[in-house]
Amino acid sequence: MKGKRVLIINRGEIAIRVAKALNELGLVSVGVWTDNETEPPHLEYCQEWVHLKGNNNKETYLDIPKIMTLITDFKIDAVHPGYGFLSENKEFSETLAKKGIIFIGPNPVAVHKMGAKDISKQIAKEAGVPVVPGSIGEVPTVEEAIKIGNKFGYPILLKAVAGGGGKGMRPCYNDKDVRDNFAAVQREALSSFGYAALLVEKYILNPHHIEVQILADKKGNVYHLFERECSIQRRHQKILEEAPSPFIGTDEALRKEICETAVKCAKAVNYDSAGTVEFIMGEDKKFYFLEMNTRIQVEHPITEEITGIDLLANMIKVAFGEPLDFKSQDDIKIHGHAIELRICAEDPITMLPAPGRIVGFETTFPQGIRFDHCIYPKFTITPDFDPMLGKLIAKGFNRDVAIRKIKNALDGLIIDGIKTNIALHKVILNEKTFIKGEYSTSYITTIKPQEKVAAKEEIQAFMLKVAAIEMNQVGGLS
Amino acid sequence: MRYYFINQDMKEFSLDVEVQAGKVMEFAYEGAKTKLFIKKLAGKNYYSFDQVAWKKLPSLGVNETLVSNSEVYKVYRGYKPSGLNKGGAGALITHMPGKIVKLYKKEGDKVTKGETVLILEAMKMENEIKSGADGVIKTVNIKEGQAVEAGFLMIEIEE
Repeated sequence: MKGKRVLIINRGEIAIRVAKALNELGLVSVGVWTDNETEPPHLEYCQEWVHLKGNNNKETYLDIPKIMTLITDFKIDAVHPGYGFLSENKEFSETLAKKGIIFIGPNPVAVHKMGAKDISKQIAKEAGVPVVPGSIGEVPTVEEAIKIGNKFGYPILLKAVAGGGGKGMRPCYNDKDVRDNFAAVQREALSSFGYAALLVEKYILNPHHIEVQILADKKGNVYHLFERECSIQRRHQKILEEAPSPFIGTDEALRKEICETAVKCAKAVNYDSAGTVEFIMGEDKKFYFLEMNTRIQVEHPITEEITGIDLLANMIKVAFGEPLDFKSQDDIKIHGHAIELRICAEDPITMLPAPGRIVGFETTFPQGIRFDHCIYPKFTITPDFDPMLGKLIAKGFNRDVAIRKIKNALDGLIIDGIKTNIALHKVILNEKTFIKGEYSTSYITTIKPQEKVAAKEEIQAFMLKVAAIEMNQVGGLS
Repeated sequence: MRYYFINQDMKEFSLDVEVQAGKVMEFAYEGAKTKLFIKKLAGKNYYSFDQVAWKKLPSLGVNETLVSNSEVYKVYRGYKPSGLNKGGAGALITHMPGKIVKLYKKEGDKVTKGETVLILEAMKMENEIKSGADGVIKTVNIKEGQAVEAGFLMIEIEE
């Protein structure tokens, strides 16, 4: 495995995380840069930098023929797709397999079966895993979607077949909603994932989003690394995650049941990499299979923190046929509690993306903090990419300690020049439903922490800005 | 030196500052005076109001925007700009850079308040831009597929 050349076909914090793991394992990390991001911070961690020509994602991170040319030209042995972009694209994994290039992820058949949400549901059903009622396969027309809406009863959810991360997904409450949103979700699906097909399912109210981390090797061993709770979401996108789930809490029988169900799903497709089985759990603690993400996920660090297992390194090792760092399910234990906050360039109240230029960045963190990010002063956030800048992760002896640590870390995280959701996270961490651990996915829409985001003490903020500008004028202090 | 801070809604603050030897700044705001002390430590600037409690001054001061949670102020050093226009309910202005995905109306079309006029894609999200007033489309400065900067006047509606 040592010395093999691995192309990272991603950007931002995940490209940095992958590059670090590759370097640690003695592989050659090859990063890319594009014409709409000529100074990406992830290159700092890559041993080789390659130009991926193009001005938008369709011409760069989603352009399979162009990526295949790079692979040939630069003698690449393996590819890590990160998350998003081509990470769950069956055409990409098949093309790589045909050329004999290692895809650091599951085999193409698993990507195909689980990556396409319509087929995955059928497989889960056949494996005896409960699923949410919905369309079987792709829904080609608005009329078809309306028919399903009336069959299962509204609300329903329109979802991109190739989707994930909350993109290309909208709830509809009546026939008119479906008519208004169908074409828009198709367009979002096409621009984000390169594939426009949609599916429809029943929308369960106030569920908990609980997912189980899977790690499997090429010899048929499938392990789980316990669950994560990701119920705090806006626009179906997670903003705060924790492991283990406070909703499952001390119910070890339920924890065992959901984790073993996830292993069953993974085994049904001969899964052989890192992946995540997502479930929704109702108030009655009944859970349904939602989808399986056949890639590394944004929130993987909290699982790494509570289990002590490096998911990225293990994912890379198994792709090259090497053994995992551990030998049995009994080697994997939960130690303490971890919380992750997604730090995004967005308005803390409206939660809409707010691109801009970072002019200042400072961190002062307590013990137990990890910050996976791509931030640096003078970094310009453009509307071309996702607004997530980094992930602040706290590990504590228990949940209370993790909350205490992450609150202190947030006070020490200063990003100047752009709007961020730091102020929103501060409200959530002090809100009683969150502290009790009793929140569901409707948290943002019902508790509305965004409405409690207060304006800062403005005059003091003005003085500090003036001080910074004046320091710049006089060339700083000697 | 007088500084002006003006936000999206034309809310305005002004603040006077006097810099003494680059280490002490005296601010005057609404008649009250405040001293701010600056000290350099390990390559970074620290500030203090009492010379006992010190905190990092993170900003490089290179851009002229102050972001305070969800408020954005433009900063003007030594002068106040004239001719700033917020635009009425009939002016559709971009609040963030993006791309026009769909344009439903053309010049001369009637619109009602709350009607979707166009779809703007920014950061992979589609945003429906709605008319703020009843009226007739007077000018259209955009076309489908066009990339637009923040603060761009896309459409004007005559009420």
